Amino acid sequence: MTAVNTEGAAAAAPDSSTGPNPGPDPDEAQRAIEYCYERGWSDGLPLVPVSQPLLDAFLATTDKDPDEIIGALEQVGRDVNVRTAAINAAMAGCRPGYFPVVLAAFEALMRERAARGGGFQSTSGPSPLIVVNGPVRKELGFNTAGGAFGPGFRPNATIPRAVGLIVRNAFGIHPHVLEQATQGLPGRWQVCVAENEEESPWEPFAENGGVADGVSAVSVTLTRTMEFVDNRHTPNHEDVLRDIQDTVNRMGSLIFPQTSVALVLCPEHAQMFAAAGLSKADVQNWMIEKCGHTGREFQAAGKGNVPRKPDGTFAADDEFHRILSTPQQVPVIVAGAKNAAISMVVRIFGEWSGTSVPVVEKTVVEKK
Amino acid sequence: MPNAILDPTGTVTTSTGTAKPAAPRAPRPASLDGKRVGLLINTKQNARPFLDEVGRLLEDRYGVTLTKRTKVNFAVPEPEDVIKELATDSDVVITGVGDCGSCSAAATADGVVLEAAGVPVAAIITDSFIPTADAMAALRGAPGYKYATTAHPVAVLTEDKVRERAAQVLDDVVALLVEPGKVAEPGKAEA
Repeated sequence: MTAVNTEGAAAAAPDSSTGPNPGPDPDEAQRAIEYCYERGWSDGLPLVPVSQPLLDAFLATTDKDPDEIIGALEQVGRDVNVRTAAINAAMAGCRPGYFPVVLAAFEALMRERAARGGGFQSTSGPSPLIVVNGPVRKELGFNTAGGAFGPGFRPNATIPRAVGLIVRNAFGIHPHVLEQATQGLPGRWQVCVAENEEESPWEPFAENGGVADGVSAVSVTLTRTMEFVDNRHTPNHEDVLRDIQDTVNRMGSLIFPQTSVALVLCPEHAQMFAAAGLSKADVQNWMIEKCGHTGREFQAAGKGNVPRKPDGTFAADDEFHRILSTPQQVPVIVAGAKNAAISMVVRIFGEWSGTSVPVVEKTVVEKK
Repeated sequence: MPNAILDPTGTVTTSTGTAKPAAPRAPRPASLDGKRVGLLINTKQNARPFLDEVGRLLEDRYGVTLTKRTKVNFAVPEPEDVIKELATDSDVVITGVGDCGSCSAAATADGVVLEAAGVPVAAIITDSFIPTADAMAALRGAPGYKYATTAHPVAVLTEDKVRERAAQVLDDVVALLVEPGKVAEPGKAEA
């Protein structure tokens, strides 16, 4: 794997200013792209047509057997092996070197109960939220700074697209047929954040998922949407926490007795909390303690049967019902630039598995 | 000789699609008189009162006995042991209400699997999910599998309206469960 990063907004355009164009035949490329559209493989955007040599380059990045099954969707009777995943990753525009990350992301995704259940078919139309940690971020040229939710960077853009194409093509989940999203969300199959570990005051996110600091790893859950909290107005960290809490609390997103949100904090907010002596757990506990509504507030939205208690009854008029109860329901991630105090509340569909998956590259045999 | 463009679906496709063995359809009784009816309630809002009312009407009309069961997970087909129990305990099964992407597909899938186990099934879905129910039936080897529909939505209906809907769909449900020929084409009757 090379350490050269030529991706992203700053990448230089190839020099084609002189002489007859020596590049590939665009007419042939267009025919190949249209062929992929005609076969129904595309998510709407052009695909990279995949040849055997390109597939071989992908398969050469992993020790896994091309026939190994890496995920199954029992209800539709489909599964996906390493080879098919590689074809979809290549089609999505990934480089071969990204494939170990795609495999880790897909494994992490299939650990989500909601993904194995009906998530991809759901009217809620969720998207994977992919979080990347460790040295692989720099090695492959992930964006770890400003514009964390994209666009502009090839690994961040193509890896989640690869996952979406696997679901479409290998699992056969097509919109309006087995995929029944009412509205879906902007950015479905496009959400891949590389944590800003360098400016985070806390441990890398993958460590919360059980993978040691310094090891490349991917964590995935499903999200229904996200909303920003722009608070650059106060030096008081508790004011900022209250502001975030208000967004977490939004009634419209609440459909079950418990919910789950990822807090993707910008470095400025994270550092403000850390400077006040708060750990991730303290931020999580704040939300667990304070987020919720009274029975009456639920009733006012016609949701009196949402705050269901373990005994089967519902929160009474003045009874405060908490919507979060464990740290796992409030994953905390640090991403973006340290240039404004803008964080994101990411609404999770279901609940994060709580586990991260190490990125496993091909074993290199030393030559003597 | 140029390289071929590789197929990303992982399936061998032909112009007619992948051939699947046809799933068998259970033989129907001549009538529901005195039959054991299994209600498989998928936990979606209003599914229980809807199926309760369908069951009550069948008790009145045919003297059936009811067994009620809640789906383990509305989003996916029932596990094998539950299917076995349903097949043992019931002469016919009614399942619903499929009013979402995964649960409408799961209702059809349960239907196809139970049919193969010898139990006639009437799955009830809302009419917004006909494409996904049809796609799931085809995936399960039962293209054209018949189910009953009711207008979407069901979840927000009042109790009275739920009962009204149950009464409206009853003839279609019965037609799906007995020897065909006596009642109008099932799965199509909902206006």
